[in-house]
Amino acid sequence: METVSDLRDSEADFSRALGRLAERTPFAEILAQADRGAGVRMDRRSVTASQTPRLKGAVIRVWGGERWIEGATSSLDPSSIARATDSVLHQLSKAVPGGPPPGEASTLRKEWTERPARPVGDADPDQLTALGKDILAWASSVPGVTESAVSLNWNDEERYYLNSAGAKAYQLLCRAGGFATAVAVENGQVEFDYLTTGAVGGWERYGIFTEAAVTEIAREAKQLLTAHTAPAGPMEVLLDPATAGTFAHESFGHGTEADQFLRDRSYLSPLMGRVLGPDILTLVDDGTRPEGFGTLRFDDEGTPTRRNLLIDKGRFVGALHDRVTASALRTTPTGNARRSDFLSRLFVRMTNTYIEPGDQTLEELVQEVKDGVLLEHTTSGIEDPLGGQMQIKVKKGRRIEHGRLTGLVKSMALSGKVLDVLRQVRGVSRPTDFVMTPGFCGKGHTDSLPVGSGGTYLLSTAVVGPA
Amino acid sequence: MTPPDSTARTAVDVADRLHLPEPWEVYGERARRYEVHFTGPSIELVRGPLELEGFGLRVFRPRDGGFGIGFQASTDLSDAGIRTAEADAERLAPRTQFPAKRVELPGPRAGADAAVEVCDETLWARPMDSVQAFVESLLAPFEGQSGVLPTFGSVRATLLESSVRNSAGLSTSCRHTLVELEFAVRAVGGPEGRPPGEYWVNETTRRLDPDRAGPLSEEMKRHARAVREAEPTPTGNLPVILPASVLATILPPVIGLRCSGAGRLRQMAPEPGAALGSELVTLVDDGRVPWGISSGRTDDEGTIQRSRTILDHGRVSELLYDTRYAGVFDTQSTGNALRGRGGFYLDWRRFLAPPALASTTLVFQPGSGGSDEELAEAAGDGIWLQQFGSAVPDPLSGAFGGEVRIGYRIRHGKIAEPIRGGTVGGVVLAPPGQPSLIANVGAVGSSPELVEGVATPALLVRTLSVAGAA
Repeated sequence: METVSDLRDSEADFSRALGRLAERTPFAEILAQADRGAGVRMDRRSVTASQTPRLKGAVIRVWGGERWIEGATSSLDPSSIARATDSVLHQLSKAVPGGPPPGEASTLRKEWTERPARPVGDADPDQLTALGKDILAWASSVPGVTESAVSLNWNDEERYYLNSAGAKAYQLLCRAGGFATAVAVENGQVEFDYLTTGAVGGWERYGIFTEAAVTEIAREAKQLLTAHTAPAGPMEVLLDPATAGTFAHESFGHGTEADQFLRDRSYLSPLMGRVLGPDILTLVDDGTRPEGFGTLRFDDEGTPTRRNLLIDKGRFVGALHDRVTASALRTTPTGNARRSDFLSRLFVRMTNTYIEPGDQTLEELVQEVKDGVLLEHTTSGIEDPLGGQMQIKVKKGRRIEHGRLTGLVKSMALSGKVLDVLRQVRGVSRPTDFVMTPGFCGKGHTDSLPVGSGGTYLLSTAVVGPA
Repeated sequence: MTPPDSTARTAVDVADRLHLPEPWEVYGERARRYEVHFTGPSIELVRGPLELEGFGLRVFRPRDGGFGIGFQASTDLSDAGIRTAEADAERLAPRTQFPAKRVELPGPRAGADAAVEVCDETLWARPMDSVQAFVESLLAPFEGQSGVLPTFGSVRATLLESSVRNSAGLSTSCRHTLVELEFAVRAVGGPEGRPPGEYWVNETTRRLDPDRAGPLSEEMKRHARAVREAEPTPTGNLPVILPASVLATILPPVIGLRCSGAGRLRQMAPEPGAALGSELVTLVDDGRVPWGISSGRTDDEGTIQRSRTILDHGRVSELLYDTRYAGVFDTQSTGNALRGRGGFYLDWRRFLAPPALASTTLVFQPGSGGSDEELAEAAGDGIWLQQFGSAVPDPLSGAFGGEVRIGYRIRHGKIAEPIRGGTVGGVVLAPPGQPSLIANVGAVGSSPELVEGVATPALLVRTLSVAGAA
């Protein structure tokens, strides 16, 4: 096993840099990051083994009197850290003097170094390849499914945070993820279905790739070739757990990122404290979930993550904060200040966002639908924080007619006004249906980072159309 | 005019210290990035220079009738760092399998190649000043206004020095610039009781053109007001006009896979000569379009860029190849090996991933459809789709679509009231005889526009599925 690099080896250089910066600014912080990981991607024709790039570096942020100033370096040797510090000091020399930075600085001093019981990185790389081959073989066992693909990977990420207020915090996050796609090709038409996993943890995360699950998506891919085009127009919609999670994230979660409040860009901002949905609806962002892809010990301002209630039994009760937004809105940081990496700026971001389970069964929810559609296997979503609209795309679905699931339909997009969809929530299924799925979230179109989205089956009304 | 070569030496410096058998390739990159972020009219954050230098090393090793390809990227440019990357790449190659019969890396070329404009020299010379001046120009049209306001935005400019060296003797380098612009404008006031309306753009270009900032702001004001006043989108199978900004989000992912060696290997590519599109459709991939975000003298493997016709009057002509897929089919690379296309949009950490097969700039040959107004007249009763929430096409099935963030109703051949909400969708490509975007093109406008990976006029698609609340 390769020796894991440790950012704490550079502590003396970081402390020296903070000391120099602290002479010229009321606040300075350094976030260093390093990654280690590997993966394998294969289809019927090719196999690609890969290793996470040997990339590590640090970002320096200081308060310039009126605004934040940042510089970064992709090398952590002492001279590079000193040069990055010089660059920030140069910017500081041009800054207009002002007051102290907004909000409270973290004083967290703690280290989290635990690893999963079976780290994927400790296993023989051939084990990943062997699992991938099994998955391909299971998918290909379904006639007509000839072009399938598998991607399995792991990543150990270190983040080391220090600031001039005395914080010094270190975390090691081990994540494992995978994606299996069964592809059916016939007469120039191509369709697919997929399975995905991703969370902090180790080898156990690959447990979803069973022969039964893989052959099921292969059969679905084949059947999608002859499935009906999705219906178009307003209708009853039943979201599968992953799609409900994406709804929670894209449609509501982004609007609770409080930097959007300060930008006067959240349709939710004036609605704090109001009832937006039925009392069966509770929505949470929780960076401490053990099965989340967006799980963290502390955020990139050194604030420990926690469970943040956003909608409590239908009432909008909370938002997500960094130190700046918390200060402006007279509350406390929530552990949601995140950077994609040391080269990217900090924003208020979600961690693991989900709708808490209700108490109905899937069968009961289906029986309530007269004319609608079940949306399954989310492929994407995008936010509209000011307009309060939503877009979620799914790979497939099923018509629901007179309380019964009927024919398979091809990919669809869901649209509508989030508040209307929330108001019309009529049912949420029970805890045994709960699923947390991995995703990569952008702040707008950039700054991608890992998040979790979760939920159970959710029944409402929205506009649906082919996509 | 961009100088033909830069002094970028990252790849050379690394290659000089390699101890590897052939074939191998080093892609080096040195990047400096400058960012200005604003909220409302106030500067919120200034970043830069953010410095990043590194390399990606690929080795090709014969294996089981094909090749094992090992790749490792690193920012450690020390001798020890290079040795580690060599060892990583060699360790990965035997665990990789690609069915190329040969690997033919591009070699040195005799004579000079014509330069392609990809470097904004003003930006290169004064990066932070240029970014700050552009932001000021962007915000100036809002001074003293109360009905339309800037919400937030950022300009992120990257100066890149890229270099390629390989075991076939190629050594090439270039300077280029990339600019990412994010800008949101909101309209307030207006029709009684309506919430604010926002128009939000995200785009990547090669240059910061200060003359463009003012007109862009004015255009955004117009669309933001339209969002505020928009009516529900209608429902039905309707004629839809798609401008370049929308086509840029739809065409490249699908065409780049399906009409390529990667699609051919996986039996997803159309047959040569197949009639997939309307006769009005002639589509060319051209890596030499000035200021194209994937343009250059060479692609990211060092193969000379040129143009190749993908669809000629609706019929399939050429497919796209990089070195790997050319080796599978005993053909030549078409110069379509690009970095930075994986993950989340075009990025400046391009050396971190190996090159992938992708389209460069898809050039839709202008037609006789005329101006936007003439296209609307030809549509009769339909919609002009100005912006999707996100098109996110599925490259495998070719399906695309999404929410209408803002569009305009076309009534009696005239662009009429704004519309919003609901979805528009379809498939980009379908087997001959079946409906698709390409097959249903009813008119091609006459004025092309370069937007990210496309250079195209607006297209009138005879019917797409529109699902609205009205």
